[in-house]
Amino acid sequence: MERPIFKAPGTPVEELDTPAFVVDLDALDSNIETVHSFFRGQDSGLRPHVEAHRCPAIASMQLASEGTVGGISVNTVGLAEHFANTGVGDIYIANPIVTKVKIERLCRLARRAEMRVYVDNGRNAEALAAAASSLGVGLNAVVGIDTGLHACGVQPGPEAVELAKTIDKLDGLEFVGFGTYEGRLTEDDSGRIDERSREAASALTATKELAEESGLKVDVVSGGGTHNYELMGAVPGITEVCAGAYALLDSRYAPQKPGLKPAARVMATVIGRPEKGLAITDTGQKAAGADFGLAHLDAGFNASVKSLSAEHGSLTLADDEAEGLKMGDHVWYIPSDIGTTANLFDYMHAVRDGRLEAVWHITGRGLYR
Amino acid sequence: MESYRPAVGTRVEDLDTPCLLIDMEALEHNYRFVAETYRDRACKMRAHVKNTKSPIVAHLQIREGGTVGGVCTAKVAEAEVMAEGGIDDILIPNQIVTEDKITRLCSVAERAKVSVAVDSADNVRDLSRIASDRGVSIGVVIEVDTSMGRGGIRGKEQGVELAKLAHSLPGLEFKGVMSHQTLDGSPDRETRFIWGRKYIQQCLDVKDAIEAEGIPVEVVSSGETFTIDVAATIPGVTEVEGGTYALMSHNFDYMEDLRYAAKILCTVVSTPREGTVVADVGTRALASPGGVMPFVEDMPHLAPEALHGEHIVFRCEDGPMPEVGDKLTLISGQQDMLSNRWDQYVAVRNGAVEAVWDITARGCHN
Repeated sequence: MERPIFKAPGTPVEELDTPAFVVDLDALDSNIETVHSFFRGQDSGLRPHVEAHRCPAIASMQLASEGTVGGISVNTVGLAEHFANTGVGDIYIANPIVTKVKIERLCRLARRAEMRVYVDNGRNAEALAAAASSLGVGLNAVVGIDTGLHACGVQPGPEAVELAKTIDKLDGLEFVGFGTYEGRLTEDDSGRIDERSREAASALTATKELAEESGLKVDVVSGGGTHNYELMGAVPGITEVCAGAYALLDSRYAPQKPGLKPAARVMATVIGRPEKGLAITDTGQKAAGADFGLAHLDAGFNASVKSLSAEHGSLTLADDEAEGLKMGDHVWYIPSDIGTTANLFDYMHAVRDGRLEAVWHITGRGLYR
Repeated sequence: MESYRPAVGTRVEDLDTPCLLIDMEALEHNYRFVAETYRDRACKMRAHVKNTKSPIVAHLQIREGGTVGGVCTAKVAEAEVMAEGGIDDILIPNQIVTEDKITRLCSVAERAKVSVAVDSADNVRDLSRIASDRGVSIGVVIEVDTSMGRGGIRGKEQGVELAKLAHSLPGLEFKGVMSHQTLDGSPDRETRFIWGRKYIQQCLDVKDAIEAEGIPVEVVSSGETFTIDVAATIPGVTEVEGGTYALMSHNFDYMEDLRYAAKILCTVVSTPREGTVVADVGTRALASPGGVMPFVEDMPHLAPEALHGEHIVFRCEDGPMPEVGDKLTLISGQQDMLSNRWDQYVAVRNGAVEAVWDITARGCHN
């Protein structure tokens, strides 16, 4: 577990030990307000996907800001249990839950929170229904649809409606609608993002209409993410968008979403200047993550992240000001994938106006089960 | 943080997933191989525990023999965890530069033999000042850059100057030199020996230059998993810093004497289309620096196709299609990053849980 040295609230951020995961509260507030205020004007609502931060303090801020459906989404039963324990009463597990132990946990959790689960398989639906019935609880099911990620999910249209009908006949498992995650769309060309998002939205809404024509009641149509929340959230028939990265953002989303601010950064220390044009830092893949590309160096001078090894960063220094970096100086990374980085630390340092305001535990870290 | 622990004796097929297993027979094979390689040599292993992050695993490696009796860590926090776990000889082959961290390093030095690598005069002076103030002695080795292009001195003269400085200052004990080497791809044995020797010789050249100035060099810590067998045969090298050898991952598949001990157990959660298999573990838990993928043990017909946050997608080719609920065992492509994503190892033998060990140095970045 991470072992940051305690610093009293009010401490200037530059005095924190490194690597430190630092959240700028003004930026976080601004991001929440920007996205939530959009949803306040829509028929759809936001369901914050907390896997992007795994932090109850941030989930509470999200749920306290109007514009949500009043619940969250997660990917694992472990995260669902954890956030239910912090008081969240409406949780969508956007992932198939298939093992006996997990189904049992899910059902027992349904006594304390309204639980909705993603289903893409008839036998799985029967197992969920049987477990829920025997425990006397009710689970909600969305039929998971593949709209381009090509991971889980049945095909939109008749295949999805068939599964919906199967679920509708079961006791203990209530069919409530359809859900999809089309994958993180990160092409530089936002026209392509819009096009793919529209394709996903129309697959969803067409499936909903087909289901309704066959007499099913469809309350939930869930799709989208930070990359397309404005587009998806405005499509008639879409009831919710499960976006998560918007709160803290990252360096891949930042150019795509100029209205949002990078709120999470990792502060690193220069530990060596072995040659001209090169600085070595104490922050590499284990702290910043490199599963989805290198972190972006957030510097006022011309320098960039050249490579990240396990515990080191190598920076290319490309002008005289950058050459001024010396051993002990701090530099800042914007992570390339916020979900990866939040899962590497155990603490976030919440900072306002350059001073430490609070230390938040990332208690959902590592809850893969 | 994951804190629930499977009961000892639980059959592997009954474990909830995903979970990180240690195949005890493979781990034992690996540290016995190292013990045999180093038993009758002057050169010894110093296990790099940044890979394993667990004092019990470090003790098992040390007890088997062939080691210096200590470990190396990349970070001060890892050194603290190891000292708390009873390890009393720790080398940090990395630069520790801030006041806070040097002070913590000195605190560890009150309970364990501690050495650290340096590559700048300012850092040597800071270490000396803080160690003297606290009344402890810190061992110092000079890091020599041979092939990484990262930390380390870039020329022999710089090494001699630093050695003279460290030798002259209070609070420090000048110990010697160290280096890490890197080779891309999957080199054959001959390539490993040619380049391993060439790189390590650069480190030995610095040792010779320092000794020519009348300063004794006691430690030459040079090597890693890919030079386990190379460094052991080079006169003058006193220790090797091997990390991946204990638990292994397939990026070191060319080290044919070692076995895969770290395994990820996962469950098929969806088979949505013919030939598509989705399991319940993804990049969050596996790590995939540079896009590296795991492979499925004993099921070569399942080809990894994509990794998402919490899922891995396989294409099933020319073989039986797994069903939802079936378990798969994955072998990582990068063990160092893998262990840093988990809070516990489930140690298994003969298909059942033998022990559960907290990965106490996980996340010890600082």
